Amino acid sequence: MEFRDYYKILGVERSASADQIKIAYRRLARKYHPDVSKEPDAEARFKEMQEAYEVLRDPEKRAAYDQLGSEWKSGQSFHPPPDWGSGFEFSGRPAGGRAGRRQAGATAGAGTHPEEDFSDFFSSLFGGGSPFAGATGRGGGRDHHARIDITLEEAYRGTSRTLELRRPEVKPDGSVELRSHTVRVTVPAGVTEGQLIRLAGQGESATGGGSAGDLYLEVHIHPHRSFTLENRDVTLTFPVAPWEAALGASVTVPTLGGPVEMRIPAGAQSGQKLRLRGRGLPGQAPGDQYVQLKVVLPPADSPEAKGIYEQMRAKLNFDPRASEAR
Amino acid sequence: MVRVTQVFEARVLSEADWIAASEICQLCRLDLDAVLELAALGVMSSRERAPGEWQVPATALPRLRVVGRLMRDLGINVSGAALAVELLEAQRELEVRLRHLERLVADH
Repeated sequence: MEFRDYYKILGVERSASADQIKIAYRRLARKYHPDVSKEPDAEARFKEMQEAYEVLRDPEKRAAYDQLGSEWKSGQSFHPPPDWGSGFEFSGRPAGGRAGRRQAGATAGAGTHPEEDFSDFFSSLFGGGSPFAGATGRGGGRDHHARIDITLEEAYRGTSRTLELRRPEVKPDGSVELRSHTVRVTVPAGVTEGQLIRLAGQGESATGGGSAGDLYLEVHIHPHRSFTLENRDVTLTFPVAPWEAALGASVTVPTLGGPVEMRIPAGAQSGQKLRLRGRGLPGQAPGDQYVQLKVVLPPADSPEAKGIYEQMRAKLNFDPRASEAR
Repeated sequence: MVRVTQVFEARVLSEADWIAASEICQLCRLDLDAVLELAALGVMSSRERAPGEWQVPATALPRLRVVGRLMRDLGINVSGAALAVELLEAQRELEVRLRHLERLVADH
């Protein structure tokens, strides 16, 4: 196990006041909060910061941590001293990992979120991290929430995913056993970004005769190399030759459901969008596919091609900037 | 560790599904007053099925989870978190459009 320098993580001196620590945490949290930040390592950094703040904001934990001394460096191999914790009374890791740090309206709640998995270093010093922590005591099991990543093609066709869920279960003799449940989830065709799938009874097991919680899966669709998704509509950028745009043409266009024939009207322009009704994601009101035309010029890389361009220059009275000059 | 394999039926939640505000409170770690204030601010709709039994659309859950996290982690209040989540969503929408336009420009 590696030592963690909580002061360094928050960028404060060991002598920092509670207010200075709070301000440092808030400043870093604004920068690295996973819902806000674009930093590639935001989630990992944020977890570290949460852990550091959990210790340094609590006078008891901070005093105990300070007892380890200032000689330790982040990353050094570490084991708690044999008399660790004597003279201190920890309340343990709060359910949810954030008790006492609540904003009015936000509650500490259940510890079921991956961002709350503090390090072994933290657990060795202050306990917690147990899968059995945070029981509600109200009989019913809590709902759990997880994310499921799928491709756009899978969203169109539907798919299935196998998830491994681990949860503690109380045996008849009263002992607790960690059971691993493999759950196969069928994701129906036509799910959209951010949509929720509910698996009834697959959340936390109940205690005291209540009903088990539900498992909510939030769908996340990976960005696609060709199609852009907006709600149920998809947009495809489709290259066409100048004569296809000018004279009109029948072309084969890829869609999520397979290629279809589409008519490009004569006089089409680059950037123009054509709609294929009902070719987006399926649903009660299926989405549409928009085909955005991109006129691609043939290269003038042969005498023949150059000749054609010269003929066009001589015979067509065409000024692409005519409207700009007005 | 004991391994059990089971197959479960899943159901996609739609606009037509409503979740009890108490369940939302637990999932998003918000208190009921905050959930009702968020509804009053227009973050999501709500309905009172019976006196004191509030419900919100299931589709609002991802948004409310972000609100809960922002409130807890950044120490902002309900109206601040409501504003932040709307701005974040607007930013994401603009980013999607920007990526699309950048692709068009790059192809030209």
